[in-house]
Amino acid sequence: MQITKKMRAVVVASTLIVLASCGDSENPVLFGYTPPSPKSVAAAQISEVGSQTPFTFKANQGEVLVVYFGYTNCPDMCPTFLVALKNAKKNIGDLAQRVDLAMVTVDPARDTAEILPRYLSSFTDKFHALIPSSDEELVNVKELFQVTSSVTETNGKIEVVHSGTAYVVDSTGTVVVEWPFGLDTESMTNDLEILLTQQRTKQ
Amino acid sequence: MKTTAKRALTGAFVLTALLGMSSCASSDESAVTTPSIKVTGQWARTSPAATTMGAAYMTLSADTDDELVGASVDKSVAMMTEVHEIVMVDGAMKMQQVSSIPVTAGTATELKPGGYHVMFMQLTEPLQTGDTIQVTLTFAKAGDIVVDVPIMEDAP
Repeated sequence: MQITKKMRAVVVASTLIVLASCGDSENPVLFGYTPPSPKSVAAAQISEVGSQTPFTFKANQGEVLVVYFGYTNCPDMCPTFLVALKNAKKNIGDLAQRVDLAMVTVDPARDTAEILPRYLSSFTDKFHALIPSSDEELVNVKELFQVTSSVTETNGKIEVVHSGTAYVVDSTGTVVVEWPFGLDTESMTNDLEILLTQQRTKQ
Repeated sequence: MKTTAKRALTGAFVLTALLGMSSCASSDESAVTTPSIKVTGQWARTSPAATTMGAAYMTLSADTDDELVGASVDKSVAMMTEVHEIVMVDGAMKMQQVSSIPVTAGTATELKPGGYHVMFMQLTEPLQTGDTIQVTLTFAKAGDIVVDVPIMEDAP
């Protein structure tokens, strides 16, 4: 069967319609979770390694801040997320310079100021190593983000329970999207591109 | 004389039959106790700086139901190796040791991030991208199987 000009035109037209419906550039869709009423975490403060002033959860102007609650003795979930983020940053080229990372350790007894920054440097050179200086400091931060974590010791084994969710925060201290554990690199790439483009539009 | 020969013949026949039966029985038994296990897609994560923990992942399949009951590596890789899983507890994730991972015949059993994994503790050296480590997997029926596990930053 020969492909006529008319048939070709129909195929091109339908492809364009499909493309337009998938990639609506006016309303791009975030793959992470956007809560109906976004959390404000601007009021939270926590000690940062290498800084005299407490860290506040607000991205720099024109940037996004990705916040993760984890611990370095975490062989599975933490590196899985941090590598996915690293790869998503590779995918977005120059925009990656505007992606900041803050990791709050939920295991401050073991994650010292010497350990946490070294651990994070395996994944990015733009990060904040956050180690709560008191239980109260960690509790306050967790309350605002609505996350839970615990460290318990049973028969000499330390067990850490933590949320696997990452939070993307804007410059006003609002959580603009939440990435549940297991969200893949492509989805993070999509979300970062959208958010960073929006940030630029706002400037 | 004739009777004795007959008895001897009968005895030999019975003995041969018994031997035959016992060899059949043992071959049946071996078919059950050493089912074939297939390990595919195995990889271990590059260990980040400042940590001595590591994890390996793979897909297991078997011809007969079996269980992964343990894993080990040489002391030159890590001092301790355990089989772990991640479970959800009150909306948060908890990692815990498991005594075994069931491997059901005909179904691929995945060890993957956020689920089952082989965990290395007290790594002797960091796990570096491009290297390969040998991991011994111990199955309840199939026994020990040694697999070469390449170290990668992310899942292949």
